[in-house]
Amino acid sequence: MPNDDDKKIKLPRTAKGKKPQYFSDPTIDKLLSMVLTLMGELSVTRDRLDTVERLIENNGLFKVDDIEGYDIPDDVNQARMERRSAYIARVLKSVQDELDSLQAKGDGKNTQLPEE
Amino acid sequence: MIPLDQHTMLAQTNHDEESRQDFVNDFRVHLASQVFPGNFPTYFNRVLPQFVKNKGREPTDRHEVRKVMTKDPYYQMWSAMQRSSQEMIWDSVVDSVERQLPELNAKAKQSGNKGSLILDPDLEIPKYHTAADIHLQPGAYHSDQSDDDVAAGAVYDRGTYIYSMGGLGTGNNGLGQITQGFFKNEFPDKELERVLDMGCTIGGSVVYWAQQMPDVEFHAIDVGAPVLRYGHARAESLGGAVHFSQQNAECTNFEDNSFDLVTSHILLHETSRTAIQNVFNESYRILKPGGIMMHLDLPQAHGTPPLEGFLFEWEIYNNNEHFYAQLRDMDLVEVCRKAGFKEENIHPKSAGSIWMDDKTPYADDGFEFPIIIGIK
Repeated sequence: MPNDDDKKIKLPRTAKGKKPQYFSDPTIDKLLSMVLTLMGELSVTRDRLDTVERLIENNGLFKVDDIEGYDIPDDVNQARMERRSAYIARVLKSVQDELDSLQAKGDGKNTQLPEE
Repeated sequence: MIPLDQHTMLAQTNHDEESRQDFVNDFRVHLASQVFPGNFPTYFNRVLPQFVKNKGREPTDRHEVRKVMTKDPYYQMWSAMQRSSQEMIWDSVVDSVERQLPELNAKAKQSGNKGSLILDPDLEIPKYHTAADIHLQPGAYHSDQSDDDVAAGAVYDRGTYIYSMGGLGTGNNGLGQITQGFFKNEFPDKELERVLDMGCTIGGSVVYWAQQMPDVEFHAIDVGAPVLRYGHARAESLGGAVHFSQQNAECTNFEDNSFDLVTSHILLHETSRTAIQNVFNESYRILKPGGIMMHLDLPQAHGTPPLEGFLFEWEIYNNNEHFYAQLRDMDLVEVCRKAGFKEENIHPKSAGSIWMDDKTPYADDGFEFPIIIGIK
């Protein structure tokens, strides 16, 4: 059975074309990308939390104290792991982009990462 | 940000996707209003005095300004953040499109037939289009990512709205509003039967024209298949009858003397010097005698002070707008002459948000687009 994920369409995430270097050390460029992505993701999280807090207030669903006593079920734990993994990839995209571009230059050869 | 007007092809966002897009918009508004203006005191209070101290004179042109400004830490930080914000636009949009793509592709296939869609799989995509992904949109406008693909169109629709910080209006059609308002004022008695929009992408401008003028026959061309599939379905959903076809504006299959108006909206700066001449030649060929050519594009360099000239060219070097560099110094009146337009029928004009009937928070910024007009 083919995995459903294999059939899923993956859209490109990085534009073709040379990326300028802005600072004397290219590492600073990457760090800035990460900081800005973190800014964005923290803002997204804050918006989501705001939605949750407003819904709680509107509906009186549970006490905010219940959050501290929450027992994480396995499926929720799994979902959180996947979300965290996607989150880390999003913040570290500038590092991945360089790796992708190095691998593309290698024309499919030498794409194995060296062992530590 | 103010949400885009709904139509059946618009990729829907979930909670976090919408929040992420809102953040990118607000971040870009902050960069534009709070950080970008700092380039002026940076130049006049720090970079320029140092230049004068070293050389005993001021920079003569924007190219000299570029050499010194790109070394300044304030400019570097703004520029790097501006570049990141552009990448973040697409990153904030791709998730929702990717998730809904099979449904969007299917919906486009079943769209209505007020207008039409003709694709040409054998069309050669010009090099100025394939050399780099324009505006950093991953995959650009022409790459198919799946069968019957509309991804590039769906990404473009939401992405350009964020790019313009809502300045294109909630119908994403601000440039069409500008050209139509300008046209009606400039040519109040001109009767239109058949109109062509060149380089239409998703048809934002031409659909607006078609909505306002339902008795006119509208055609729209672009080299990108996925943006045309999306554009056709979007037009049908919005009730605009437009005949889309996949063609290069340099060399179309339309008959001689067959259009009353040939127009384009920020197409020229994405093509080459040779292509621009070809586009004007082709416009002349397919216009009826008395027909009007009207191309709206980005400002040229003529007469711009060195610092402003340099800052305006940021997109060329940082946002994959490489071919805009050629347009900056071109003499479009001469291009019109070479295409066959008589001197007295060539009119370089400009138009801005004053002609928009949709007043968004950012529409009234006084920005003027040059419009080159030739009457056959």
